[in-house]
Amino acid sequence: MRGLFKTVLMLTASVLLLMACEPKPQPIQFGSDQCEYCRMMITEPQFASQVVNKQGRTFPFDSIECMVAHDLTTDNPDNIHSHWVPDFTNSDVWLQAQEAHYLHSETLRSPMGLYLSAYGVYQVAEEYHNEYLGTLLEWNEVRDLVRQEWLSNRDNQPHNHNSH
Amino acid sequence: MNNYKPIQLHLFGGLILLLLAWTSVSEASASDTAADIVVSPDGPVVSIQEAVNMARPGDHIRVEAGVYVESNIMIDKKLTLEGIGYPEIDGNLEGHILIIAADSVTVSGFFLKNSGRSHVRDYAGIYIDKAKDVVIENNRLDNIFFGIYLSATERGVIRGNEIRSYERRESSSGNGIHLWNVKDPKILDNKVEGQRDGIYLEFAKGAEISGNRSNNNNRYGLHFMFSDDSVYRGNTFNKNGAGVAVMYSKNVDMIDNIFENNWGTSSYGLLLKDINDSRITGNRFYRNTVGIDSEGSNRVIVHRNDFELNGWAVNIKSSSRENQFTENNFIENSFDVRTDSPRNPNHFEGNYWSHYEGYDLNRDGIGDVPYRPVRLFSIIIQRQPESLILLRSMFITLLDTAERIMPVLTPATLIDEKPKMERIR
Repeated sequence: MRGLFKTVLMLTASVLLLMACEPKPQPIQFGSDQCEYCRMMITEPQFASQVVNKQGRTFPFDSIECMVAHDLTTDNPDNIHSHWVPDFTNSDVWLQAQEAHYLHSETLRSPMGLYLSAYGVYQVAEEYHNEYLGTLLEWNEVRDLVRQEWLSNRDNQPHNHNSH
Repeated sequence: MNNYKPIQLHLFGGLILLLLAWTSVSEASASDTAADIVVSPDGPVVSIQEAVNMARPGDHIRVEAGVYVESNIMIDKKLTLEGIGYPEIDGNLEGHILIIAADSVTVSGFFLKNSGRSHVRDYAGIYIDKAKDVVIENNRLDNIFFGIYLSATERGVIRGNEIRSYERRESSSGNGIHLWNVKDPKILDNKVEGQRDGIYLEFAKGAEISGNRSNNNNRYGLHFMFSDDSVYRGNTFNKNGAGVAVMYSKNVDMIDNIFENNWGTSSYGLLLKDINDSRITGNRFYRNTVGIDSEGSNRVIVHRNDFELNGWAVNIKSSSRENQFTENNFIENSFDVRTDSPRNPNHFEGNYWSHYEGYDLNRDGIGDVPYRPVRLFSIIIQRQPESLILLRSMFITLLDTAERIMPVLTPATLIDEKPKMERIR
């Protein structure tokens, strides 16, 4: 009986411990945290993103484009647990980057010049698209955009993509 | 002597009369020809927007002192707007205050306050949209989100303006002078305080930024991004949240600026991130956590600067290559140089190092033994930041001395072969 109790206790404890260890996003310290990719001080909650690694450590970025650029250039991609972006309409909400919807609109100027904002609900992304124009993108397209516009083609020109 | 007095007085009086007559005539003629429309709280024209609507291209609008509560004033033709005695335009916290959407507009002598704030729109005191040769001179802007905002402009001069806000949170303050996608702008002798970035450039080309004072801003005094072929000269950047950041640009000249009092764990005088083929000369780095923090920057010439009383004068990552540090003064910094690799792809020569303990037997002004600016202790605290409390201990001094004689951990090639014996003036 005593042994069973002990086992149950151990099991509960280890389950709790595992739950506690599930890597998840952490609050970003605006005005003191530095972007892991570009070293800039992070100031804009509606764009600040983060990566969580398998040890549960978080790496903050000032923008979606910096997080993606880091992702495309990191030496250790296998150790990344998850990518998180803020909902542009409520930056307290963290969205899994793969599931979010993106707007690439020159009117919504993100910190590193690629005009990317993220939305949890597709209809909301469409509303912003109607108002601010630009192009709606999904995660893979965002990665392609950063690869093309920033990493391989650095001409220091603003990137015009205001087509519907 | 006394005989002369009446004559002198007469002459003097006559001259004054003449002068008075002349100035009143010239003043009258100046205002007659120059001001086509006068705006005054006493009427008949009481609104600036009304005056702009009435005006023909090329007109001169004079605005008399007083308070005008107006926002989103749209200037869509070539006009000169002149404020007399700093008339106040209160934007009532709605949208932009002035919008300039025509070439060759001049705005001077206004006191603009209370623009709107938004996390979607960049509301500004003066928003200039796709216009050439705009001149914004001697205005005061107070409690605005963004101050002067240039979007897709060419040439143009922003001179002698004073911009101030009171928002202490970085996330809800805008930039003082914001340039996006502009060509050949001149930003001269402005004063910016309390904004997010004092002066911000993104996709600017051929910018000249001179004589500005950008202090006490929440993030950067000056922030350069993707802006090639530009120069900033003779500016002062004091007590900004993190100093100055120059990022992702090439061919930038940084001359005779002062970077001072940027203290904090992630602060620096000047951050160089992906900066290529640029020049840093004649600047003063005084009391910063790090003087120059360089990452991924190549072929930058750092010549004749003063680094004084910084935590680290230079922090150069090994991702920065072929940079040259020559004839700089390194005076009483806690650490002169920090780097993250035993390899050294950069060149240090002919600098003055106040920590240098060598000798000069042939009296040619150059030390006879090389100087190693990277201290062993600097590498230890990089790995174990807590050990910083041992900074002034005897043990550390011994370690440093031993390492200097027999380098093991410090970069063997990061040396100044020709350290100067005297401070370079």
